[in-house]
Amino acid sequence: MKLFTRYNRILMIISLFGLLLIGILFYRMLIYYLDQQIDHDLVEEVMEVKEYSAEGNFYQPHEFEDLIVQYKKIQKVNPSSSYADTVFYNPVKHRKETARYLKTEFNLVGQPYQILVIASKFERQEQIRDICLIILIPVTLLFALVLLINRVLLRKIWSPFEQLLKNITAFNINHERPYEPVEMPVAEFRQLNKVLVELSGKVKSDYNEIKLFTENASHEMMTPLAVINSKLDNMLQSHVLNKEDGETLMELYKATSRLTKLNQSLLLLVKIDNNLLQDEERVNLKSLIEEKQIYFQELITERNITVETVLADVTISASRSLLEILINNLFSNVIRHNYDGGKIKIILDEEKIVFANTGHNKALDPGKIFDRFYKDNVSEGTGLGLAILKQICNRQHYQLDYSYHQDLHTFTVKFNHQ
Amino acid sequence: MKILIIEDELGLQRSIAQYLLSQGNLCSQASTYTEALERLAVYEYDCILLDLTLPDGEGLQILNYLQKMNRTEGVIIISAKNSIHQKIEGLSLGADDYLVKPFHLSELNARILAVVRRKSAHGERHIEFNEIRIDLDAKEVHVNGKAVYLTKKEFDLLLYFVSNKGKVISKSAAVEHIWGDDSDMADSFDFIYTHIKNIRKKLTDVGSKDYFQSVYGIGYKFTEA
Repeated sequence: MKLFTRYNRILMIISLFGLLLIGILFYRMLIYYLDQQIDHDLVEEVMEVKEYSAEGNFYQPHEFEDLIVQYKKIQKVNPSSSYADTVFYNPVKHRKETARYLKTEFNLVGQPYQILVIASKFERQEQIRDICLIILIPVTLLFALVLLINRVLLRKIWSPFEQLLKNITAFNINHERPYEPVEMPVAEFRQLNKVLVELSGKVKSDYNEIKLFTENASHEMMTPLAVINSKLDNMLQSHVLNKEDGETLMELYKATSRLTKLNQSLLLLVKIDNNLLQDEERVNLKSLIEEKQIYFQELITERNITVETVLADVTISASRSLLEILINNLFSNVIRHNYDGGKIKIILDEEKIVFANTGHNKALDPGKIFDRFYKDNVSEGTGLGLAILKQICNRQHYQLDYSYHQDLHTFTVKFNHQ
Repeated sequence: MKILIIEDELGLQRSIAQYLLSQGNLCSQASTYTEALERLAVYEYDCILLDLTLPDGEGLQILNYLQKMNRTEGVIIISAKNSIHQKIEGLSLGADDYLVKPFHLSELNARILAVVRRKSAHGERHIEFNEIRIDLDAKEVHVNGKAVYLTKKEFDLLLYFVSNKGKVISKSAAVEHIWGDDSDMADSFDFIYTHIKNIRKKLTDVGSKDYFQSVYGIGYKFTEA
């Protein structure tokens, strides 16, 4: 729920309840005062009755007073008086009206009487209604106005905040574009903005530093690796090597080669991160895949793997080096994790490239396989091949998915056609 | 051939010199920019191996110097930096090749031979090894005048072995030569065996001697004896 919807809702609920409560109290109060006033009038009428009786007359009110007095002979005066609401028939207006009466008993002209004074409440109620309306309508209008102003004002005040949110969302650590500050009239927002500018700057510089560190560390390792490699190459020429030495050398070669590969992969990741491969051009994917298939042919035949291809003639605009690495890694992956006599399926159409392979493993965890250094225990790779794949897809805004069905590990790269 | 090695990492410098000397070359070594300029002022070389980051100067300036003096030596940059920009810069300043560290000495040797061949005016465009004749332009191989049909990879591999004749080439060096370094296949060396087997068969089928020797399962040697 949006902040100001929530704010408005609470405000509305409280205001409505408040107004209702005040309304009820107000109405009750008015009624109470009205009854008091009428009761007072009734008492006055009774006084009048008494005054008239002192002169030996029965008092009858004027017709226009909306008032009637009834006399009823009784046996014995029980000196008490009671007020209550009632309904009576207004003889002047010929209709029933709500009314209030005062019932009392005393001696009139020497006789015991019960005297009933009934006064119409009709006029007074009309008054109350008018008073209520006079107060209620402006209050309601005011309330609506306040809500409206609230809405407009809040929207206006929050608009830079929404811009700010948009800018944070757009901020990407991998992109050149820094976080864009927003002009803020509100002090708190201005502060938030300032903090964000500083934070994004810090995050960016830290990230760049890490990348630089990785790059430098990897570079620095290349020269010692070159020394090891060259020493091995020379040692290999020795005529006094025996079989055991040969095996040792082989292991050393393998380890050096892996270390080199690891370094190269790290450097490649940094390079892709830094967007250093920007040779965008029209690339025919079909011929690229066919070219790479020839490139990998020996590996495929060596392991007796059947390749099944369905390639449409697709040309897309992208960085050629990135696409080459992408296809290379897809191929390496489907060959490496296959078993001898396995199967590879490659599909290319306008929307996607699909590489699927049979493998020893059951379904892999799609949330993990693209992580750096994720490896199954039999893999002798660097653990960076799929991470590089993912990075390239991010860079090119392709969607990379993994799925497993019909015993095939399937990698799908969906292009993003704008 | 006379080769100047400009490299500040002494371990690497010595290894390169050792390998190249054993191939019958003459080697001079320089570990600094100044030392390199001193050598270049006095001697001429067939090929110069140039590391770009030297303690007292940029290797690229040596390229500038060579260009200014109209020198004709072949130059191979050996650098730890695998950056397209630097490659382009180096090559446009007159370098003939760019080799990224770490590399195999056999690879370096093959590149030196290729550069020198390209540079030499009367261009020996073919290599002969006893009865085998490799035509570099047409990419053809003949044994006693009979054509041998090799695939591109087999041709490259044969050329690589012939360039490093008498030397043991490890499987990993052979794999890297054919596959470059952009495939994540560093651990699969064994399929190179199939290649060698095919080349051997194709050569011996047309009457060539078998010059390939397997060395402890670690690599192969192309040699006379």
